[in-house]
Amino acid sequence: MSPPDLTRDASRPGWLAGQSTGLRLARHTLTLVALAMLLTPFADLAVVTRDPWGELARMARGLAWPAWGAVESPLEALGLTVAVALWGTLGGLLLGFPLALLFARSRLVRAGCAFVRAIHELFWALLFLQVFGLSAATALMALAIPYAGIFAKVFAEILEQIPGAPRDALPPGVSRLSRFVYAELPLAWTRLAAYTRYRFECALRASVLLGFVGLPTLGFQLETAFREGRYHEAGALLWLFYLLIASLPWWGHRRLLPLLAFGGAFLLAPWPEVSGSLLWRFVSQDIWPPALLAGDWAGVLDWLSRVPELGPAIGNTLLLGLLGSVGALLVALVLWPLACRHFGNPATRLAGRGLLLFLRSTPELMLAFLFLLLLGPSLLPAWLALSLHNGALIAFLVARHADAITPGMPDANGVGRFAYELLPRVYPGMLALLYYRAEVILRETAILGMLGVATLGYYIDANFEYLLFDVAFFLLLVTALLNIAVDALSRRLRPREAAVIDDPCQR
Amino acid sequence: MDASLLALEGVDLGHGDRVVLPGLRLGLRHGERVALLGQSGAGKSTLLQALRQRLGETAAWCPQQHGLVPGLAVYHNVYMGRLAEHSALANLWNLVRPLAEPWRQVAELCEALGLAGLMRRPVGQLSGGQRQRVAIARALYQRRTLFLGDEPVASVDPHQALRLLELIDARHATSVIALHQRELALTHFDRVWGLRDGRLVIDAPAHSLRLADLDALYPDAGTAPGGVTQQGEGNAGARP
Repeated sequence: MSPPDLTRDASRPGWLAGQSTGLRLARHTLTLVALAMLLTPFADLAVVTRDPWGELARMARGLAWPAWGAVESPLEALGLTVAVALWGTLGGLLLGFPLALLFARSRLVRAGCAFVRAIHELFWALLFLQVFGLSAATALMALAIPYAGIFAKVFAEILEQIPGAPRDALPPGVSRLSRFVYAELPLAWTRLAAYTRYRFECALRASVLLGFVGLPTLGFQLETAFREGRYHEAGALLWLFYLLIASLPWWGHRRLLPLLAFGGAFLLAPWPEVSGSLLWRFVSQDIWPPALLAGDWAGVLDWLSRVPELGPAIGNTLLLGLLGSVGALLVALVLWPLACRHFGNPATRLAGRGLLLFLRSTPELMLAFLFLLLLGPSLLPAWLALSLHNGALIAFLVARHADAITPGMPDANGVGRFAYELLPRVYPGMLALLYYRAEVILRETAILGMLGVATLGYYIDANFEYLLFDVAFFLLLVTALLNIAVDALSRRLRPREAAVIDDPCQR
Repeated sequence: MDASLLALEGVDLGHGDRVVLPGLRLGLRHGERVALLGQSGAGKSTLLQALRQRLGETAAWCPQQHGLVPGLAVYHNVYMGRLAEHSALANLWNLVRPLAEPWRQVAELCEALGLAGLMRRPVGQLSGGQRQRVAIARALYQRRTLFLGDEPVASVDPHQALRLLELIDARHATSVIALHQRELALTHFDRVWGLRDGRLVIDAPAHSLRLADLDALYPDAGTAPGGVTQQGEGNAGARP
């Protein structure tokens, strides 16, 4: 041991100076927050409505006294919601599993999967809506196609991580298929099943949201009721949605699922009459700029220059993505102790867990929709929705992670425990989770445009409405590329020293 | 019976670019029972891997970490020993319903190894000793003439270790088995290979060796009395 270096220790370090992980991450975080604050003036955060608090009170009253009788055929909407989610997930599984086996070997498969993943379920729905109309085919394909890409990536990662010992122990000459079903698949089975289950939960939420583009799932009635100010009916529907999600462990039992799938198949209606020539025209002509098909490059440039508001739309999307991510981080920092066993008393923890459950099981789009009704169309409702939903989700995972930690100094008071025992242990994982979520947040950011927020989604929705398929499709491509770029960027920026918090939402 | 199965003449063995056993010379003859001794990290597994590679399909293989699949039943884990001898379709069907002939043969093996009644149990639910016996059952099920085992009797008591070794001997003419029970090496094998620091320092008939000769392989154990070794390798690093 060398003698302590007194000259170095004698000078007190400056503000946040030092090379420890905690200090480095603190500087990293503050840079992010500063960047967000610097850019906030560019965001349109105005409150447009006249009486947001009164509106909020009316909504709360609706939720507190739901009008069960006013809901029209709730069972049908519920059944269709479940059937779409189940068959959409199954479709994604059937398409995605074979792709997972090719994933590591084929660059083309990886790129294709990244592309279909980067487009939100609702955008896929908007696209298929043009061909298959308001039909079950639109709903199923809107879920199955992006999920195929997600399944392929996640399953490939899971299969890559299985231990190699059983494979190495096999005698020489075992065929590829036999090796897979004996020494690989059984080792990955539990994780594959758990992830499929999680994806089904996502599908359930997405299936509800498909109502926002007009498909007759639960979301359709929900949106209409809210828009028309029938808050008591909307409250009943919202409760129905929470009950559906909360009761999933009971009705979504492994043995019950085949029965549900079979029964649900009869609810999947109406089926569209697909005209092959129409479909072909859509794919080969409608979605491409006419100048491009004619090979007229000057015309393409001209067409490009007439695509409306491309720069501001991309700017708004990125800005909202950044603000949403930073907001989610701040929300998570404040909320996670509420649900953690190291703080408060049983009553506060129950309330905290309830709040987190409420915020994370309500889809961003629905939250944003509610805030939009309250605050009017600006980036503000979208920002709030993104921050609260994703913040609550991260807080929930962090709290669960912190619950497993035994503090070394059990007598420390709450603040001491937070600042010295727990935060240094959970923060690296928390920041890593945020970077993982950044891609999801950006996907959601784009989709929030459909509510009237001026992100890319707004223009995609509008151009589909005006039947300008070429512009809409072009904007979809831009959205997808933006997503892929941000995903790559967040992978690069992500702090490396993270202790991994198991995230069921890995993509 | 004196046919040579394999001869290494100054071969470098290792993983990729990293040479663990440089310039190795040794020979293996048909009918020989070889005990492979050495501290952990001395290169036992590397040598066994190399033997397995060279001997190919003539050798039954029982790896150190067992290589078992926890989610599959004991029967299926043992069946995997002969996965290559059935068509992929038969292998698939066997997962749905065990094939009659293999089931009978595996049942016989399980009976002999004290695993009777456990054939349907997932391996993940077994104790360490039971798993070890499943791994041995899988190697026996391969029905080869030569047995290669990387510490196949490490986590069972001395009494059982002896019984398992006898079972292995009864079904294989030749064997190379890594182990850490020094006495067993002397009483139960024809030949001892001793590895230390990447060199083969002992290659001699078992009857010409005494326990004290073997102690040279374990510098960390100091002058441990022979009796300690029965309790396993866990105390190899401890001073008496």
